[in-house]
Amino acid sequence: MHISGKRIRKDAFARRVMLVLTCAISSLILLIALGLFLKSRFILSGVSPIELFLSDKWHPTEGHFGFMPFIIGTIWVTSVAMILAAPAALFSAIYLAEYAPGKLRDNVKPILDVLAGISPVIFGVFGVLIIVPWVKDYIKPFAQGYLGFIPFLRSDNFTGYSVIAAGIVLALMVFPVITQVSEEVIRSQPQELRDSSLALGATKWETIKYVVLRRARPGIIAAMILGLSRAFGETIAVLMVIGCVAHIPHSIFDAAYTLPALIANNYGEMMSIPLYDSALLLAALILLVVTVLFNIVAWLILLKVEREYV
Amino acid sequence: MKNIIISLLIASFLSISGGSALAQNQEFKGTITLSGAWAIYPTAVAWADAFQKKYPKVRIDVSAGGAGKGAADAITGLVDIGMVSREPDPSEISKGITSVYILHDAVFPVINDKNPALEQLMKKGISRQEFIDFWILGLITTWDQIAGVKVSKPLHLYTRSDSCGAASSWAGYLGKKQEDLKGIGVYGDPGLLETVKKDSLGIGYNNFSYVFTREGQLVSGVRLLPIDSNENGKVDPDEIYASREEAIKAIRSHRYPATRKNYFFVKGKPEGLIKEFIRFALSEEGTKIVDEVGASLSVPEPDREEILKGFY
Repeated sequence: MHISGKRIRKDAFARRVMLVLTCAISSLILLIALGLFLKSRFILSGVSPIELFLSDKWHPTEGHFGFMPFIIGTIWVTSVAMILAAPAALFSAIYLAEYAPGKLRDNVKPILDVLAGISPVIFGVFGVLIIVPWVKDYIKPFAQGYLGFIPFLRSDNFTGYSVIAAGIVLALMVFPVITQVSEEVIRSQPQELRDSSLALGATKWETIKYVVLRRARPGIIAAMILGLSRAFGETIAVLMVIGCVAHIPHSIFDAAYTLPALIANNYGEMMSIPLYDSALLLAALILLVVTVLFNIVAWLILLKVEREYV
Repeated sequence: MKNIIISLLIASFLSISGGSALAQNQEFKGTITLSGAWAIYPTAVAWADAFQKKYPKVRIDVSAGGAGKGAADAITGLVDIGMVSREPDPSEISKGITSVYILHDAVFPVINDKNPALEQLMKKGISRQEFIDFWILGLITTWDQIAGVKVSKPLHLYTRSDSCGAASSWAGYLGKKQEDLKGIGVYGDPGLLETVKKDSLGIGYNNFSYVFTREGQLVSGVRLLPIDSNENGKVDPDEIYASREEAIKAIRSHRYPATRKNYFFVKGKPEGLIKEFIRFALSEEGTKIVDEVGASLSVPEPDREEILKGFY
């Protein structure tokens, strides 16, 4: 009796410790947000939000803090990455889930795991050594030679350091993430659905397109959003290939600048100068809010999927 | 009896030597922490090693992380000494920071050694105004305009993407700030050097320590673009630097214009152990260490005396 009482107390104690740990970790995000907000209040009170978000003038030492080039640059790069990665990842996921023989799937999935786990700086180095020269010597001359009439393909940037180079590198990074999650989602669809569709005379592709994908759609969208938020927040790989020029890009071959790159490039050197420090932390706050929003949307979709089907 | 005398002698000898060691160590005992600029880091580590060897009871921790981190750490009192590779900002000084000029550095404009106008450039050099015309104002866009010969090639302008001492001092030489420098931003000193090495039409700038090899020769694939600092329209022999030795001579004699000062930031007035460490860094011995490390230049003699005088 005595021993069992001790065991029960132990159990209750362990449960409480775990609860506290879980709460502490969950509240970290709020603490980070609060800390960033407190630090960025300084610039928010000194510079009007209109200038902060709508001006393209970035001259911190003269007191001009326009985040526009960085926000637009981030959107450009993320968009290019998603346009390149999303279709490829979706089709790979369909192939792996529906067509690929078990053995092939077993071999490819670890490769995707490795790709997803490679340190971003390695992608950055790969970008500098391979993608940037490739963009400069092949993609850009080709695009401008044959497609130069399209405005967003024209640029006077002579190097390969550009939105497109960053987009390609990012696409390579988010591709495995989107593929993995989408594949899981597609494969988790009940086999009975496929069987009934096939029994009604649909081809395999028709079954995938009208039955499996229709049902898997919310999950796939969530996978895309997860990829998107990874692309949005990626720092070092983008920083190394984007050219870091603080102006609004007009072409995918222009150099640009992203919010994460802005913070990484300057924080270590400028954190002792109050206004500059505050501006960089505001950039961090914007990033955090956007990433959290992305994740909440993805989470809500996945929650809906679970409620409807499980 | 004999044994006792001997053991007494040994004991007394031990106590004397122990006592004197104690006396010396009592004076300098404790920990000094430093953090900050990458440019100062290697030299500071070498100073720390030598200082700890001299005073075994002293511990020195040096960490790198950027000039701003060094400054912020010194302001908040997280470290004793912040290493800052740029001019102090007024907002930093107003927080009670004493900046001590501790090292010297120089930034060189670098071009590819296959530049089509190389020969003319090495003869003619570039004036400060011409640098301003393309790096700040964006008026010059081809090598023709600088070299004065027809090569019909565009100028590929690069700069550093990360905030750093090299960029701020190069911009400072051109009368501006880093954020005013035009060009494609490349991360880090080695990154920028590598980019110019690969682009025959490229021009960038690098810290003194990155353009020379360990043996003191210019790294292969690039040239230092001569600055026509006396603006006589041609390059004088002492405006061309092919080796570290020549560059050092030009910097020392104030012939070379694009140099910068590196600082130690100390909260309040340096005292005790920190003062001793700074004095060591600026001593003959410390100067020798700077030269051995080769990452920066030591503070010139007259300035050194001036700084030390300010302490006492």
